[in-house]
Amino acid sequence: MNCYEHTLIAKQDLSESQNKKLIDKYEDIINKNLGKVLKTEKWGLRNLAYKIKNNRKGFYLHIKFEGVGKTVEELEGAENIDEILLRFLTVKVKKHDLDTNYFEKKDDYKP
Amino acid sequence: MKRKKKSNSKRKTTSYSKLNLFQKPGIKFFRPCPLSGKNAPVIDYKNVKVLKKYISESGRILPARITSVSEKKQKKLSKAIKNARLLALL
Repeated sequence: MNCYEHTLIAKQDLSESQNKKLIDKYEDIINKNLGKVLKTEKWGLRNLAYKIKNNRKGFYLHIKFEGVGKTVEELEGAENIDEILLRFLTVKVKKHDLDTNYFEKKDDYKP
Repeated sequence: MKRKKKSNSKRKTTSYSKLNLFQKPGIKFFRPCPLSGKNAPVIDYKNVKVLKKYISESGRILPARITSVSEKKQKKLSKAIKNARLLALL
């Protein structure tokens, strides 16, 4: 089993129910394909540093999971078709760091 | 605490520690790598606060000879910056 970190950016104009569906959909894909979701982080709506497909903001989602090569293949295959997503990134890590969340504080300051 | 640290660093500095106009060629002024050692910040594409210190105003990666980051860490750093760019964090 390898450790992976996966981040995806969805379009900003999504309702909350759509966001939940999005999370469930990709967690399902991971769990069905020999993987195991350890933690999901919602980074929330963030300003993009530059425009992507004419979007200035994006909804960030971060998933930490264990899996094999096939898990990543299936996950990225499904994401390539999805029109809601702007971008995604998978990074292989040696060890999961489940404690620190770099984007949690900013959300607290906003309200 | 801050004052103590400053005084410590002053003691350590040698005559070659600052860039001198009349410096002899071939003598390097040594500065330890800011990203290695104890209590060093973690290099990670999510740690945007740290990464921002090592890019220029126009968003280019600063060379290691200016920031005095070690070779090993510079490789990690550039990879992290590129990953952060892909996610539109920088």
